[in-house]
Parts: sequence; structure tokens; C-alpha cells
Amino acid sequence: MIKIDINKKLHGSNADMQLKVDLEIKENEFVALSGESGSGKTTLLRVLAGLEEAEGTIQVGSQIWQDSKSSLAPQKREIGFVFQDYALFDNMSVGQNLLFVNKDQNLCDHLLSITGMSELKKRSPNTLSGGQKQRVSLCRAMMKRPKLLLMDEPLSALDPYMRSKLQREILTLHKEFGTTTIMVSHDPSEIYRLSSRVIVLNQGQIINDGSAKDILLKTTGSAKFSFKGELLEIVKVDVIYIAIISIAQQLVEVVITADQAKSLSVGSIVNVSTKAFSPTITL
Amino acid sequence: MNILVAKVINIESVDSLNIVNFTLEDQNLSMMSLDLDENVKVGVEVELSMNPSHVAIAKEFSGTLSYSNQLKAKIVSLENGELLSSVKLLVNGSELESIITLNSSKKMNLQVGDNVTLLIKASELSILRVL
Repeated sequence: MIKIDINKKLHGSNADMQLKVDLEIKENEFVALSGESGSGKTTLLRVLAGLEEAEGTIQVGSQIWQDSKSSLAPQKREIGFVFQDYALFDNMSVGQNLLFVNKDQNLCDHLLSITGMSELKKRSPNTLSGGQKQRVSLCRAMMKRPKLLLMDEPLSALDPYMRSKLQREILTLHKEFGTTTIMVSHDPSEIYRLSSRVIVLNQGQIINDGSAKDILLKTTGSAKFSFKGELLEIVKVDVIYIAIISIAQQLVEVVITADQAKSLSVGSIVNVSTKAFSPTITL
Repeated sequence: MNILVAKVINIESVDSLNIVNFTLEDQNLSMMSLDLDENVKVGVEVELSMNPSHVAIAKEFSGTLSYSNQLKAKIVSLENGELLSSVKLLVNGSELESIITLNSSKKMNLQVGDNVTLLIKASELSILRVL
């Protein structure tokens, strides 16, 4: 069990806010941390890693990482940290980057083989692609066999194909090493595929905590197919009205009644939904 | 998803709204649609699709209904679940599925071999692709 009860004043872009997180995470849980930028996600990870100070306590298993009296140094906390920008040592080879953390040659080879990187062990990181660099960074984070793996949007700079490959590798490592993982992510498919629990932060506070499906499936009433969009225009045709709505870089048209046409105003954010029985799927 | 191959025989339009009529051998279908693909023209063959849960069944029906699409069909199989019933039907040689509640299926005493009428609203019919 990981018990987190911390408090920290943050200087947000608009106003100062309080990061206030009281949370228990089970061992081996895969937690996705979501929320708008500036909501305190990265700060929370950095506090857990000991890279930033905060008031309160952090307990991992029977070990106290932080309380009112003391704070364990980052290198003494059993964590792995994966950053969005890789943060590799370019003057060392791939293998040396891993061995820098822990001199375990067998573990190094094992990790490189799981991620299909064995051939690149002697290469310098700056000769690698983004996906390969992030694999090195992930392997390096696992070299300490961390109790807690922290990842800050590790895949957001990668293309969709590379993302889904790395998602599978992250899940393999998470299971094999039995770590508890906290990953900042905004991608619903990634959150759904990887996490067993989603925590949503807003203005430094937890506003939602549950399974990916409960939190990400946007529903109103019995509709299971629901999207938020901006109402761009309402056009009258014959006796019906057509609402033109922009959803995720696409336009959709929805037939509405005269009453609805009167009550809706152009520019407002609307929910477009239908029951799970209505849509059809084609390739 | 249900698919029927039919030929476009008429298109009526008002602004971006269209009513498209199709023929399927001796039976006719019609579809309500917003803007049509430019390839949808009189004379072309299309694949029409409709969701099984949007296909209703009428048996020994008399009277009139607003359903634009009333297709003669024969039941070829019935699969009853705990709550729903999946009814497979043959319409001019094509197999369609209707998903109705088990209650309805029992109430109507639907049996394999029954001649029934399929009911599909014009707004529930769509063109999957132009052939």
C-alpha cells in the first residue's frame, strides 16, 4: 500500500493554488493521472520522487519516505522516473545509461531484450529514434526494480503506432516487475488499455477517482455513444432542422426538432449522443 | 449489421434533404438522408445497411403504418436469449437479422417458416457504399 497525504502551495498560471492530495494506492496498481495542464500532475510526481518539497507524509509499504520530521533523498526512494523528453546521457551508450543506475549486467540484458533493444546496446542515444530513446529511458527506470514507477506523459511525443507498441511493453514490464505505476496521460485509449484506476486532478484537487470506463465513458441517460462538441450552425431544411457540430476536428450533422433549434444557441458546447444500438462501425 | 443490395430508382431533394427510393426485385425501399454522396445516382446499385435492432417484425398484419419500408420476409432461424431474440429472415434471397425482445417474439409466437413483414423506418436506412 502507498499512502500519500501531501499539501503544497503552487504558483499557477492564473492564480496560486493548493495541491492537496490524500490518496491510497494498492500495490501493483496501474494508476493513470489525468487532468488539465497546470492541475498539479507533474508536481505530484516530483513530490513523490523527492524532487520537490511538500508538507505531509508519504508511506510506501512499511517505509516512510516523508513525514513532518524527515524526507528520504530521491536516490534512496525506490522509484523509476520516465520523462516525456527521455533525459538520457548522450555521452554514454545505451547499455551504460542502464548500468549507471545499477551494475546488474543480467538485468540490463534482460530489459533490452524485452523491449527489442539488444542490438542497440552499444549505440549512443542521440543516434536513436524517439521510440527507441523512450525504450532506453523506460529500461533505465526499471534497473532499480522500483517499487514505484512514475511516468510523466512518456509517450505523448511519439506517433500512434509507436505509442501502442510501447504501451504493450510498459504493461509487460509493469506486470513482470510487480511495480506500482503512476502515469500521467491524456490519451483515453492509452488510459483504458493500461490503467486499472484513473485519478483526475483539477486545480490541485482530486475531482474524480475510478475505473477508466466509469470516468471516460461520457454518458447522458441511457446513451453510451456521446461526444462533446461546439454547435456551429443550425440550418432549416423542409420541416426539420440540422445542427452542424464540430467534434474532435471533424464536423457532424444531427437532425433536431424546431423546439431544440429555438433553445440551442450557436457557439455553445453541446453533448451529441445516441444509444449504443444506433451507430454502425465500418473500416 | 444488415446489408441489402438494391438499385436507386428515384431521388427527391429539398435543399440538403433527400428521399431516395430503391428497388429490390419486386419490393421497394425508401431512405431519408441529408447530403448524398455524388456517386449516388438513379440507376446505380448500392449496399443498404440497417441495424438489426432497428428492424421490426409484423405478422398477419392488417391496417396501415407509417413505415416506408415494409418488406416481405420469411423466418429462417430464431435464437432466443434470456431477454432478447435474434430472428434471421430471408428477403429476396438476402439474409437479414432483427433483434427484438424475447417478450415480443413469444407474444407473436414467431416460428421458423413464418411469412412476416419487416418494418424499417426511412430514417433508419442508410447507404453503406455504392457498388
